[in-house]
Amino acid sequence: MTDYWVSKLFFDLLHDPKLAAEYRADMAAVIDRYEIKPEFRRALLADDVGTLAPLVNAYLLRFYFQIRGMPEAEFIARLHALKDQVWLKDQVREGAAHG
Amino acid sequence: MAELVGVFAASHGPIIARDWDVMPADHRNKLKAGFDEIGQRLTACRPDVLIVVSPDHWVNFFISNLPAVCIGIGEEHDGPPEPFMQKVYPHTRLKGHTAFGRHLLETALAHDFEPALSHRLRLDHGTCIPLWRMGVDIALPIVPMIVNDLEEPMPSIRRCLAWGRLIRQAIESYREPLRIALLGTGGLSHSIGEATMGWIDEAFDHACIKHFSDSDDERLAAFLTEALPRTGNGAHEIRDWVVAHAAAGSKGFELIDYFPSPQTLVGAGFAAWKLSPT
Repeated sequence: MTDYWVSKLFFDLLHDPKLAAEYRADMAAVIDRYEIKPEFRRALLADDVGTLAPLVNAYLLRFYFQIRGMPEAEFIARLHALKDQVWLKDQVREGAAHG
Repeated sequence: MAELVGVFAASHGPIIARDWDVMPADHRNKLKAGFDEIGQRLTACRPDVLIVVSPDHWVNFFISNLPAVCIGIGEEHDGPPEPFMQKVYPHTRLKGHTAFGRHLLETALAHDFEPALSHRLRLDHGTCIPLWRMGVDIALPIVPMIVNDLEEPMPSIRRCLAWGRLIRQAIESYREPLRIALLGTGGLSHSIGEATMGWIDEAFDHACIKHFSDSDDERLAAFLTEALPRTGNGAHEIRDWVVAHAAAGSKGFELIDYFPSPQTLVGAGFAAWKLSPT
């Protein structure tokens, strides 16, 4: 489900280099200017790709983690780990259904 | 009367610009050959105006205001805002064509299409990577048409086909003898910022190529409507190829090249359509 305020933060960071620099210096202070839910605030501070991915457009997510300075290979690896989780869940669900 | 003189499509992707000088030479040469061929064919058409159908990568629009389609009718547009693009394509202003852009907009409204309009768009890497690599003359006026290919819900494939036909109608009803070409950018398959990031769905790409080679719009629409939700999110940019396909008259196309490009995360495609007689 799209979260407007997390999306807005990502969009603003993409368009405002000064804000992006400020964010790199003090993430919490910038996050607190947006109406971001506590669990999403925690996810932002923890670079929790898995929690943030369903909240924003996938392209914005990529731009955000570029601004955060996460190497693309690491970003992709974290996304692929989500795929593994999804498959594992599917297998568990399927096993439960057939078991 | 204006005339449609060429219809083309090419992939784009930020890494093409970002890593152009450092990617393996053989791969760069393959990309270069595709872009060069399209660029040469476009130049040979001697266009007066180029319509560029492209997505917007969160440069002009946000989820607070996100048009399905926006037509740029300004006298000028801004060059790419992305720093990686400014290094390779340092043009801050690109020439528009207000008269034809406005005619396209009015033709759309007269036929019950309701696009957004912009008197000044910022043209991101989706538009500017092909312009850069194809060597398009910076003086060639551009009419940008932005299609929402990024955020669901998106325009249906049938609507994109209808848009292509409408563009053709607008060209043929324009009174001045302009030579107009069209470039669709994006695709083929790719996956960005999602769990399958990096996946290039070659089976999807080859199926698209087959459908574009045929002239059955219904089958093309049925295939894409069914297949797009099951492949990577970047493949939604195929809508821009669909617009090109229908503008050309859906008479098949010539695939200039296709190859998976894991280095740039896209199924790289380059094509020129056969034009149906007016």
